[in-house]
Amino acid sequence: MKKEHKHENTKKFGMVIDLDKCTGCGACMVACMAENNVPFKKDESDKLDSITWICVYKLTNGKSFPDTEICYLPRPCMHCSGIGEHGHSPCVSVCPATATDYDHTTGIVSQIYTRCFGCRYCMAACPYHARYFNWWDPVWPEGMEKSLNPDVSPRMRGVVEKCSFCFHRYQAAMDKAYTEGRRELEEDEYQTACTQACPAGAITFGDLDNPDHKVYELKKSPNAFRLLERLKTNPKVYYLSSRDWVRKAGDNYLEAESKVKKKIV
Amino acid sequence: MKLNRRNFLSLGVGVVAGTTLSPLPWKLMDDVSIWTQNWPWTPVPPDGEVTYEKSVCTLCPGGCGITVRKIDDRAVKIEGIEGHPVNDGGVCLLGLSGLQLLYGPTRIKSPLKRVGERGEGKWQTISWNQALTEVAVKLGELRSNDRSHTVACISGSDQGTVPGLLNRFLTAYGSPNYIRTPSIHDSYEIALSLMHGGQSSAGFDVENADFVLSFGSGIIDGWMSPVRMIKANSIWKNEKSKVVQIEPRLSNTAAKSDTWVPIKPGTDAALALGLAHVIIKESLYNKDFVEKYAFDFNAFKTIVLESFGPDDVAKITGVDKKTILSLAKQFAGASKPLAICGRGQGKTPGSIDEVAAVHALNALVGNINKPGGVWAVSQPDYIKWPEVQMDAVASSGMKRERVDGAGSEKFPNANYLLNRWVGAVNSSKESPVQALFITDANPCYTLSDTSVVKKAFDRIPFVVSFSSNINETALNADLILPSHASLERYEDVPLSAGLTKSVIALSKPVVKPQFNTKHVGDVIIEIAKKLGGSIEEAFPWDDYETCLKATLGDKWDALVENGYWSDPDFGVPPWEGAFATGSMKFEFLGVVRARGGEKDVQAKHLFTPVTIEGNEKSYPLTLIPYDSLRLANGSIGDPPFAIKTVEDTVLKHKDVFIEMNPETAEAYDISEGDYAVLNTPKGKARVKIHLFDGIMPGLVAMPTGLGHTGPDEYLAGKGINFNELIGPVEDADFGLDVVWGIRANLTKA
Amino acid sequence: MDSALIPKGVKRCSLGLFTLGIAVAGAVLLWGVYAMLLCWIKGLNQTNMNDYYGFALWIWADLAVIALGGGAFFTGFLRYVIGKDELKNIINYAVIIGFICYSSALLILAIDVGQPLRSWFIFWHANVHSMLTEVAFCLSCYFVVLIIEFIPLILENRQLDKVPFFHNLSHNMHEVMAIFAATGAFLSFFHQGSMGGIAGVLYGRPFGSREGLLVWPWTFFLFTWSAAACGPCFTILVTWITEKITKKKLVKDNVIRLLAKISGWMLATYIIAKIIDTWYWATVTAPSMGFTLMDFYSNNAFYGIWILVLEIFVCGVIPALILITKTGRNNSKLLMTAVILAVIGVCINRWVMVLQMMAMPVLTFENWVLYLPSWQEVATTILPVAYGVIVLALSYRYLPVFPQEKELNPID
Ligand SMILES: Nc1nc2c(c(=O)[nH]1)N[C@H]1C(S)=C(S)[C@@H](COP(=O)(O)OP(=O)(O)OC[C@H]3O[C@@H](n4cnc5c(=O)[nH]c(N)nc54)[C@H](O)[C@@H]3O)O[C@H]1N2
Ligand SMILES: Nc1nc2c(c(=O)[nH]1)N[C@H]1C(S)=C(S)[C@@H](COP(=O)(O)OP(=O)(O)OC[C@H]3O[C@@H](n4cnc5c(=O)[nH]c(N)nc54)[C@H](O)[C@@H]3O)O[C@H]1N2
Ligand code: SF4
Ligand code: SF4
Ligand code: SF4
Ligand code: SF4
Ligand code: SF4
Ligand SMILES: [Mo]
Repeated sequence: MKKEHKHENTKKFGMVIDLDKCTGCGACMVACMAENNVPFKKDESDKLDSITWICVYKLTNGKSFPDTEICYLPRPCMHCSGIGEHGHSPCVSVCPATATDYDHTTGIVSQIYTRCFGCRYCMAACPYHARYFNWWDPVWPEGMEKSLNPDVSPRMRGVVEKCSFCFHRYQAAMDKAYTEGRRELEEDEYQTACTQACPAGAITFGDLDNPDHKVYELKKSPNAFRLLERLKTNPKVYYLSSRDWVRKAGDNYLEAESKVKKKIV
Repeated sequence: MKLNRRNFLSLGVGVVAGTTLSPLPWKLMDDVSIWTQNWPWTPVPPDGEVTYEKSVCTLCPGGCGITVRKIDDRAVKIEGIEGHPVNDGGVCLLGLSGLQLLYGPTRIKSPLKRVGERGEGKWQTISWNQALTEVAVKLGELRSNDRSHTVACISGSDQGTVPGLLNRFLTAYGSPNYIRTPSIHDSYEIALSLMHGGQSSAGFDVENADFVLSFGSGIIDGWMSPVRMIKANSIWKNEKSKVVQIEPRLSNTAAKSDTWVPIKPGTDAALALGLAHVIIKESLYNKDFVEKYAFDFNAFKTIVLESFGPDDVAKITGVDKKTILSLAKQFAGASKPLAICGRGQGKTPGSIDEVAAVHALNALVGNINKPGGVWAVSQPDYIKWPEVQMDAVASSGMKRERVDGAGSEKFPNANYLLNRWVGAVNSSKESPVQALFITDANPCYTLSDTSVVKKAFDRIPFVVSFSSNINETALNADLILPSHASLERYEDVPLSAGLTKSVIALSKPVVKPQFNTKHVGDVIIEIAKKLGGSIEEAFPWDDYETCLKATLGDKWDALVENGYWSDPDFGVPPWEGAFATGSMKFEFLGVVRARGGEKDVQAKHLFTPVTIEGNEKSYPLTLIPYDSLRLANGSIGDPPFAIKTVEDTVLKHKDVFIEMNPETAEAYDISEGDYAVLNTPKGKARVKIHLFDGIMPGLVAMPTGLGHTGPDEYLAGKGINFNELIGPVEDADFGLDVVWGIRANLTKA
Repeated sequence: MDSALIPKGVKRCSLGLFTLGIAVAGAVLLWGVYAMLLCWIKGLNQTNMNDYYGFALWIWADLAVIALGGGAFFTGFLRYVIGKDELKNIINYAVIIGFICYSSALLILAIDVGQPLRSWFIFWHANVHSMLTEVAFCLSCYFVVLIIEFIPLILENRQLDKVPFFHNLSHNMHEVMAIFAATGAFLSFFHQGSMGGIAGVLYGRPFGSREGLLVWPWTFFLFTWSAAACGPCFTILVTWITEKITKKKLVKDNVIRLLAKISGWMLATYIIAKIIDTWYWATVTAPSMGFTLMDFYSNNAFYGIWILVLEIFVCGVIPALILITKTGRNNSKLLMTAVILAVIGVCINRWVMVLQMMAMPVLTFENWVLYLPSWQEVATTILPVAYGVIVLALSYRYLPVFPQEKELNPID
């Protein structure tokens, strides 16, 4: 009885990103920045302190000309549900102040900027480098603060931020549904900003547990994989690639398991 | 009470204990943390009513439909219009950054008059009345001295009512010197006019092609209409269509293609002709098309069979014979094969021979004006204004030869030759251009050999920019008459970047003008009124908006409602009657004949390698540019969001990286991240090295879109403008800039 | 001039010389305070930490200083709970060193967090799953215990002792000290462990991640064990340095040797456990995540396998062997070598568990990152050292820290 009830009311939002389609254009990164008031500095070329909630990595197969191959891999927060899907995401379980939390009704890992006190333990815990610290006060050039989105509060210096799966869009969609007397959302009512913008349609977003949602079938593709599955972080972002070396790059393997050499660009 | 030591200490202990137990410290602790959560210097965006307004993105020629989310009167987010014929919901990162240009401090806030030296950046704010009067006085002066033809206008486009009004103004005033900035469209237009006849632009039915043979086109790197092309790429993945990318560097397009064929740069035409050879020899071509609709197939066949055998072509191009044979068979065997060209984003015209050879491939397989093929598209013909009644000055001015020589006896086929225009301004004793208007263009940044371009500007006594944001060209102007930004104004935007539909989009005032700016259309009308006479009469409208509504007529309502209008009756003509050449047929050798190879067609008429500047001894390397969507390289540079996405192997702090094959690097004893000085015959730059296996040994590649001198600290001073290192190479018969690279040498720094 | 404050029956250097020494340490302290204020006012952009190196020098300093401060709880435990009475001759100093270490750790934490004014949220919004919560609670409680242990000693100052209230207070506190010491030891076992747990629970970081017992990864126990082993070594080391500076014998050899012997056995057992842990991690834990041991130690010379050899053999096995043998302990050169090696060893352990863990990529397409601390980080890390020197100097000068001093250094 309890189980049924649970199934009806809980969602497991996630993404399937088709790496065969992703062109590395970067639109998802900017869509996210614009939607979520991500701050920017005059020099963002030091990628170790540049906030990009979704970051597009460039992978190569490590072979020399002309056998070289490139694949782009966009990395939002994986909204890890942790071992056994208990919601003990690597980052959530370590936060001493409960400033980041696992929402069991949506599977979304939240981040409460006003509670976070900047200990950065969650950053140390996240193997995907999906978390970013506000090393500086955010500064918008004169006039540009007019373009800020009121649905997402700008963060102050000294706190951690990360991809929220555009949770404010979920809230807005739910509010709308409730005023219309509904308790359930259609698939297209809640879509993230990066999904919406991607010119390639490479990102599919939805409830991984809902057979009516596209992600449900997509994630079962033989080409599907997740990043660092062996760590049992249980990410909710799946990737598709028809290329063997790309799928192998998703995890670490011992030499005996794979002949693929690790290579970084 | 006597205050002895003991009392004092007890008192101290008491105070400490009392304070700790009182609510005070706890309250303070709480207040302080609440303060940290609401630091007054961290903005809180005000909330309000949410509305959406449909418009069009004009940050590149792509013309994506956008819907702008507003909170009260603030625009807060740009999104794509779902179902739009160009972008169907997607937006590129430049379009997504649009609000940073609208609201950014790089906006020009009022008319400015230069007070310092040119380019020094010292300005005086003046009133619109004064600005327009100064322009009118200057124009009046020139006209009364019979020098109306020395007025020129450079624009990013020649379509739509604003370019139309500008052109009309020049006509009524008496100058033929309206110039559009160069791009691959110039070559396609000429090639199409010589092979198909008439005036048309190339439309590519990419969505329906099942085999795409791309000669260096950056299909997903910003070619034509960037979002549409990326969408097409995804369609190809779904449909399992094949894409072959031919270019010397593993671009993103090459990386996403099914087959990457590295080729010696500049030899693409030879490869296309080699494929034609195989297709003809093996009789794989479309006989119906060739026999019924082509004029000179046999002559073409003879020369191709004679001179472009796979062995020879393999030698020229470095592509092995097996690949040539297999590509030819795959191309001819596909049901909807499409061959395209235009290097990178197609920002330079490139070789017409290449366009002709590639287009001949499409003709051989009969994929012209067919689903999945190349279409000759004529522009929407909705501007029906009464003909300009020229007075004597105007008539005589309009009879003068254009400064750039386009349409002259020497270059009868060219419409615009901005590269030659620069040369003409620099080479005569007195500049043939005495007043210049620039809109929607940034030639001081985008034209190759920028120092020569700037020299030309220095020789023009009166330069007026309509730019709404500060850029390199505006900095070199005498007067800036800032336009409303595109999100602040009405303007029709006919979409044409490779589209196979006839679509007009409408740019709308999503927000009210933020500064003291004026619509370019209104500026033209007001100047015309100030000049009076036949010029004033050519502009019977009270203002631009009246003109626009009248021009668009019954399309207006649909445009306001949807943000675009699409011609429901649009279709391409069938082969029968599609060709307007002398023979009324498709002419394989149309370009060759224009080159004077009519009688004795020789291989050199079809393919002569474009020699790039610099000799091999002093410049052993070849430098090529590469385009990326993350680096806007047109008149608009990257806004802060966009530059943030640039990888640290492309730009690190102020340094740009050039890509180099590890094998080449070894010969130079150079490693990843090293500094080097890159020399070309045109210039010199300090760069960093990025080792990249995906580039052909012997080449080095540099990104375009960096090295801006403006507009703000988020972009200026980062990297090198590729155009400073390269100069144009002119096609002797067509006058276009056909350059694709330049020779270079490198010394470790 | 200040002779009225100096304990009876002992000799101290001139006030001038003392002031000079304090001034030097004070200058360093001020430099550190300046850097600390920069970090608070301008924010953590003053450091060279970044999104990959979210934990860096400070967290290492924090872990190291707490491990070294472990001398206090363990000596206290031995003295009050086990009843090793001789240790009363060194317990005062151990407590002061512990107090300095723990107060430093708290200060460093207050600089390290991005929103120090909200750091109390760790208590208010506590997440019981977090090792850091456990650390924060135990650390704060144990620091209170250390204060309580330190106060009676302060009250034994000649002038304060004259106040009857203080005299009685001090006396009564001594009576109940065993209870506090036991509480402190209990708290310490936990927070030392939680410190180890910090890295051990990071199951996304194969370098730090460990299996374990119930909710505690093996590093939890290893950290407590190593702090108990090496903390007393640090106490011995600081005592030895104090003796060198004051040119006096302050604690009798038998006391030092007893502590060294216990330390030695702790270290020996610890290092055996550590070797088993490393072996199991290298052959079972890491391979299950797709890593070989050498994946953790290749790529750059800075984090080469030498560091593991140095930590376990040079700074673990060797000092343990010295300390558990009588000849080793009785040879003061060997003894001090062992003590220094043990101190270095525990610091290296804390170093790799913070910095090497951060440096190592987990995603296959990322690279190792290295970082160099900014001067502000260095200054704020040296700040506690200067502060420690000052507190030790003041305590030694004005408090009867070493019960055996009079006996060992009779004034004629
Ligand atoms: N991120 C990013 N993306 C970019 C860019 C960027 O800077 N950053 N740059 C963009 C730019 S600038 C380009 S050029 C593209 C590719 O850019 P293009 O797609 O080449 O864009 P335009 O040159 O503006 O297109 C003008 C159109 O007008 C048509 N036209 C003009 N005159 C005539 C005429 O007389 N008759 C007919 N029939 N047609 C005419 C031309 O055929 C052409 O289709 O890449 C774009 N993508
Ligand atoms: N060597 C070389 N030369 C090239 C190219 C190349 O790749 N290499 N590329 C060619 C190509 S394809 C192009 S498109 C050009 C690129 O350069 P342009 O053709 O010059 O680019 P546009 O985007 O057409 O022009 C945009 C201008 O309009 C301003 N602007 C921005 N918003 C608005 C607005 O709302 N209203 C108005 N009125 N102005 C606005 C901007 O500040 C800028 O000055 O360069 C051409 N020249
Ligand atoms: S927007 Fe889409 S195609 Fe572009 S980088 Fe992101 S996921 Fe890839
Ligand atoms: S990706 Fe990182 S930040 Fe996101 S849930 Fe997983 S561990 Fe946490
Ligand atoms: S930085 Fe913030 S969110 Fe992360 S663990 Fe610390 S308090 Fe929690
Ligand atoms: S889901 Fe939303 S928050 Fe996450 S990366 Fe995409 S746009 Fe950003
Ligand atoms: S592709 Fe061009 S038109 Fe489309 S959104 Fe990007 S900049 Fe705007
Ligand atoms: Mo263009």
